[in-house]
Amino acid sequence: MDILFFKIALVAYFLSTVGYAVSLVVKKVLAARVSMWILCAAFLIQTLAFGARCIETGRSPILGIYDALGLIAWIMTGTYLAFQLKTKTRILGAFVSPVAFLLMIVASVRLGNDVAIPAVLQSSLVPVHIILAVAGEALFALASCAGAMYLVQDKLIKNKKGRSFSRLLPSLRDLDRINHLCLLSGFPLLTLGVLVGSVWARTAWGSNWQWDPKQLWTLMAWFLYALLLHQRLAIGWRGHKTAWFSILAFIFLLFCVIASRFTTSLHSFV
Amino acid sequence: MNHKTAPLEIREKLSLSCWSNLNPLSELMKIPQVKEAMYLSTCNRVEVLADTTDTADAVANFRSFIFNHGNLSPEEMEKCLYVYSDLEAVKHLFRVSSSLDSLVMGEPQILGQVKDAYHRAMENKSTGMVLNKLLHQAFQVAKRVRTETAIANNAVSVSYAAVELAKKIFGNLQGKTVLLVGAGEMAELAARHLINQGIGRFLIANRTYARALELADAFQGKALEFNDLPQGLGDADIVISSTGATGYIITKEMVAKTLHGRKNRLLFLIDIAVPRDIEPEAGEIDNAFLYNVDDLQEVVDENLQGRRQEAEKAEAIVEEEVAKCRTWINSLQVVPTIVSLREKVEGIIKSELDKSASWMGALDADTRKNVEIMASSIVNKIIHYPIASLKEESQDDGLAPYLVVVRRLFKLDQG
Repeated sequence: MDILFFKIALVAYFLSTVGYAVSLVVKKVLAARVSMWILCAAFLIQTLAFGARCIETGRSPILGIYDALGLIAWIMTGTYLAFQLKTKTRILGAFVSPVAFLLMIVASVRLGNDVAIPAVLQSSLVPVHIILAVAGEALFALASCAGAMYLVQDKLIKNKKGRSFSRLLPSLRDLDRINHLCLLSGFPLLTLGVLVGSVWARTAWGSNWQWDPKQLWTLMAWFLYALLLHQRLAIGWRGHKTAWFSILAFIFLLFCVIASRFTTSLHSFV
Repeated sequence: MNHKTAPLEIREKLSLSCWSNLNPLSELMKIPQVKEAMYLSTCNRVEVLADTTDTADAVANFRSFIFNHGNLSPEEMEKCLYVYSDLEAVKHLFRVSSSLDSLVMGEPQILGQVKDAYHRAMENKSTGMVLNKLLHQAFQVAKRVRTETAIANNAVSVSYAAVELAKKIFGNLQGKTVLLVGAGEMAELAARHLINQGIGRFLIANRTYARALELADAFQGKALEFNDLPQGLGDADIVISSTGATGYIITKEMVAKTLHGRKNRLLFLIDIAVPRDIEPEAGEIDNAFLYNVDDLQEVVDENLQGRRQEAEKAEAIVEEEVAKCRTWINSLQVVPTIVSLREKVEGIIKSELDKSASWMGALDADTRKNVEIMASSIVNKIIHYPIASLKEESQDDGLAPYLVVVRRLFKLDQG
């Protein structure tokens, strides 16, 4: 059942991606509006897929790296839809929906072949750890998306060029707010995720901290985001600088994820 | 006449005199050839739209109507007036209502003005089937042009362009603070545009404090001493500068300092003064955006260019709708001829039957009936082909000569 839902959700993500592309080409709001509703449907169906998986297996729906990708797609979509309610940021959907679609394609690799879970991971803390950390990362991804759009829009307004494109992008203030809110909510999620992981590590490995490469990299990324939030909240960084910083921080985070896959790590399971 | 053909003084004369005059519509309806009429008068055009029995005579009468009311010399009038008939007139009506014929192409007021003129005509009962149909179609064309092209999308005035840019930066302008530096006319104009956007607060700094107070009164804002300008900068989201000063009033250093003090809250600087008030380099600072008059004018020019491109699409829509209308107008022309053709042959049958009454009286009732039926069916068969051909021709442009020929051959216009 969950596989069926997953496939339907995948198709819906595809359709909404196509819809957004069409809306960009023909510059019709209607196409974007329809795509938004399709995206909304994709989100709900994927929610069902998670639910069905949970019921059928009796375990957390998020186990391997592929599930995590699906979760990132789900969170990005959900967050975008929430912003869509508050601000006129329809165009952001055109960035989010293809990313979600690609993540889903990669995630679809796991369909049908369930991973065997090592005994050491048989703890209820593990899924909590994964979900929190992945959710935090998904929000950071969205923050960097908004940051990138901010930089584009900022450049267009400063250079007094490309006005027809500038008109399509949301206002600077909205983009800055999305960036801000994503950072603000992503950070505690990642922090909690890391803490839960360390509690579990004590039960599994006997100590909270292992000096494992993946742990180290993630910690560094965490410090980077902590610094960014500090600058933003205490020093009053806004707009241009935060947009840059959040993109760089996310690139670093991505780099950490990739780097830790190529090093021998206690933390690689699937 | 419109803004392209008639100078303002002449349009003025005409629209003024028409206001003082009681009712141009009832005057128009007194012209014998006029079946239906509508009178449209705006600041950019004075137009009469009418369905007539005889175009040439009616036009001559319209000329004298305008002549009498506008106190114009015949030469002036000859230069200013334009006359469209048939499909050209339909096209003109569609172009006017969809704002393609306006001074500022794409401006939204004209449709409302056409609607008002139409309602006034309806109240005066001077519209009939033709005008009703045409006007309703014109409203639809205007709607199509509005929704299917981007003709009315972009700002085409400097102050409106500034508002649009501000929206690109701040999203909506509700609750934002505007600082006016210098209290000139330009500043006032821009401020009026901003008020419509729900601006929260106005600050006014001017060399002469009294004038600042005056403007502060008008906009329910707060006047600042000129020396408090840096402080005003710190509070403002949008700064509009328009002083007559020769040097820079707001320097890069001031902007940098104020941004630091306000935790980098975005700042939109608009410099509409010539010579400039704000140091151009101020626009290079992060989170500060500087536009001067030329930049804004460029936005406007680009938008106008865009409108012209959209206008081509709009013209295509108008052509399409005119084509739809053509079929209908042609069928209007063909119907009276067909009717009189039928009347003519029915008259012939009747008179022939009357003539034959003497010998037909000898026949019994059934046979007499059959003879009558046969006579009328022969005649109907014969005129069936001309009628069918007329209807066919009414689908395209070649109708007029056929109408003439049919009327001639059957002598429809003589008793």
